[in-house]
Amino acid sequence: MKLKRIAAVATKEAREVLRDPITLGVALLMPLIMLLLFGYAITLDVDDIALGVLDEDHSPASRQLQQAFTASDTFRLSASLQHHREVERTLQEGEARLVLVIPSGFQRRLYRGEASPVQLVVDGSYSATATLVSQRAMAIARGFERQEGSTLLSLDTRVWFNPSLSSVHTVVPALYAVILMAFPPLLTALALVREKETGTIQQIYASPLSAAQFLCGKLVPYGVIACLQMAMVIAAGLLWFGVPFHGSPGVLLAVSLLYVLCTLGIGLLVSAVTSTQLAAMLAVLIITLMPSFLFSGLLFPIFTMPYLLQLYTLLFPGRYFVDIARGVVLKGVGVEVLWPSITVVALYTLLILVLAAWRLKKRVA
Amino acid sequence: MRLPSLLHKELIQFTRDRVVLFLILWLYTVEVVICAYALSLDMQDLPLVVADADHSPASRELVRAFTESGDFRLMAQLDDPAAVTGYLERGQARAVLVIGEGFARHLLEGSEQQLQLLVDGSNANTAAVARGYALQTVEAFQRQWAALPETPAPGVIPHLRTWYNPGVTNVSFVVLSMITLAGLMVGVAHPAASIVREKEAGTIEQLMVTPVRTEELFFAKTLPTLLVGLVALFPSLALVGWFGVPVRGSLALFFCLTALFLISAIGLGVLVAAISRTLQQALLLTFFGLFPLMFLSGTLVPVESMPRLLQAASLASPLRHYLDITLGIFLKGTGLDILWPHVLALVLIGLPLYGIAWVIFRRQ
Repeated sequence: MKLKRIAAVATKEAREVLRDPITLGVALLMPLIMLLLFGYAITLDVDDIALGVLDEDHSPASRQLQQAFTASDTFRLSASLQHHREVERTLQEGEARLVLVIPSGFQRRLYRGEASPVQLVVDGSYSATATLVSQRAMAIARGFERQEGSTLLSLDTRVWFNPSLSSVHTVVPALYAVILMAFPPLLTALALVREKETGTIQQIYASPLSAAQFLCGKLVPYGVIACLQMAMVIAAGLLWFGVPFHGSPGVLLAVSLLYVLCTLGIGLLVSAVTSTQLAAMLAVLIITLMPSFLFSGLLFPIFTMPYLLQLYTLLFPGRYFVDIARGVVLKGVGVEVLWPSITVVALYTLLILVLAAWRLKKRVA
Repeated sequence: MRLPSLLHKELIQFTRDRVVLFLILWLYTVEVVICAYALSLDMQDLPLVVADADHSPASRELVRAFTESGDFRLMAQLDDPAAVTGYLERGQARAVLVIGEGFARHLLEGSEQQLQLLVDGSNANTAAVARGYALQTVEAFQRQWAALPETPAPGVIPHLRTWYNPGVTNVSFVVLSMITLAGLMVGVAHPAASIVREKEAGTIEQLMVTPVRTEELFFAKTLPTLLVGLVALFPSLALVGWFGVPVRGSLALFFCLTALFLISAIGLGVLVAAISRTLQQALLLTFFGLFPLMFLSGTLVPVESMPRLLQAASLASPLRHYLDITLGIFLKGTGLDILWPHVLALVLIGLPLYGIAWVIFRRQ
């Protein structure tokens, strides 16, 4: 009897989703688009930085230094300046991110074996780019025409888990956490708040359905969608981006299911505390999407954050799933290493579901 | 007289939803503060584990050189190099320094030797930074300890000057970019929601039969968002002061161009409203639209790092132009004479959005 009622709610919800091409399209296409976009765009390697050169020396050596910059893929000559006054304007207009100023007498000093200064003026407004650009530029300038001194100590670096240091391999597994955090909560929250906003929830209250039956019925179709999204995203990561999969797919799948349940629970909880769909969407944005992006270790490593904010990151399950996904996919480790994170996700899910059920029950009663 | 009363109704509706107001304020203030404190670029405290088989004063000195700069934080010191695997797997260490036996002896004898650094590559960026820090540290250590033959000629000495952000901190950038992000989210989501809500509830029919003209309805629906978007800037500007972000350009210009940006964002919201029937559709489409726009703007990932195709696509994102405008005004002190291409782009992006939305609306 009970199952029949749940099935009835689920069928109704599924029909509504299937009838709505926009919702269905967004739910199924968006994760893939996000994966493609992020997979390609989140690299912190810089190429093709616009370089301006002010050469006051006009010597073979100064031209060689320019070539040393443009020969690397990092820089591309975008402006040749004639006068100091133009430096400011070039940077303000964004025509160049970096201006190399070679003063007159550069070649003379260099050939005499004296210190030969040049100036690198960097546009600091995009701080991430500025940092990388300065490092590259300093390295090129320092290495110019220099004989290596003998070294006694050398450092042999071995990169584990991702020997090519490819950004894609870093980003794609972590994106599983973000993408699964983006859609299931939004869809469930909207589905419930919609009934509230249009008033149809009163009809549900008046029906013999219990709160639990109603919620289960509501969750089933979105759970199915979430699982589909997960399968698509993981498959695309493997096949399209060629991310190596070192661990056991079973473990990742099992934890992903748990995580999906957790995200659905967050959607439920949001729907319990908001009464309009706009509020629900903004809440989802703030509670799930932005933290799973910014505070999960996807882009910004957690250990550099101030201690208090490290504690803040513990509040969001995305962080644990990033660890788990990277662990399984890249490091090839299993439950024996990941159990602390998995336990936290499980407890989190339990807590969220209990909290959501309690809040909603109070409403219904 | 009709327009003011319509506007009045919209404003009442807007202020009635306390949760939405709270969330908007949150986006403009708390989120900005958290991000400004949390998202720093200079990586510090990289968790490091040392496997030191030498146990000599020299090796301890090397370990100290690694930790004292603040780049690395020592998590554990092991004797057995075999145990390091677990630390890397559990993520307790991002880098492991292995010092072999005889390190001090080789150093004194002046014979060549290798140190080993194991890096966790699961975050490629962290790994690259860790490697860079380690190289620098070892180089400095060697200059200090090993008696090297005559240093080579000094060669080219680059002097680095970073303009507009001398300390190269991330704070100014994060604060400003978060403010622009908040503008985009509110600017698109709110008008879309408020128009579609009337559609869905059927109250738009009632408005249609009143003498209110379409353009009046249009204004009444979009003006409150514009107002809120501009008013919400004030607490954000207080934060700008708090974090010591320089204001080199004209704030009046910033407000004008923010209005222009909000208008193009609202245009997108109106377009979303025009093509969706239910609020759910509208909000999902908003979400769908916001993402690429945010992403291709340079707020989260530098545009220069993206593939060419995406760099070109980013020109269509109003947020990218607005971010350039904002950074230009605050950090570089530029005016319209330099920013005009971005202003033009905002106009060119906004106009067709309005045009299409307008046509669809009229038909309905």
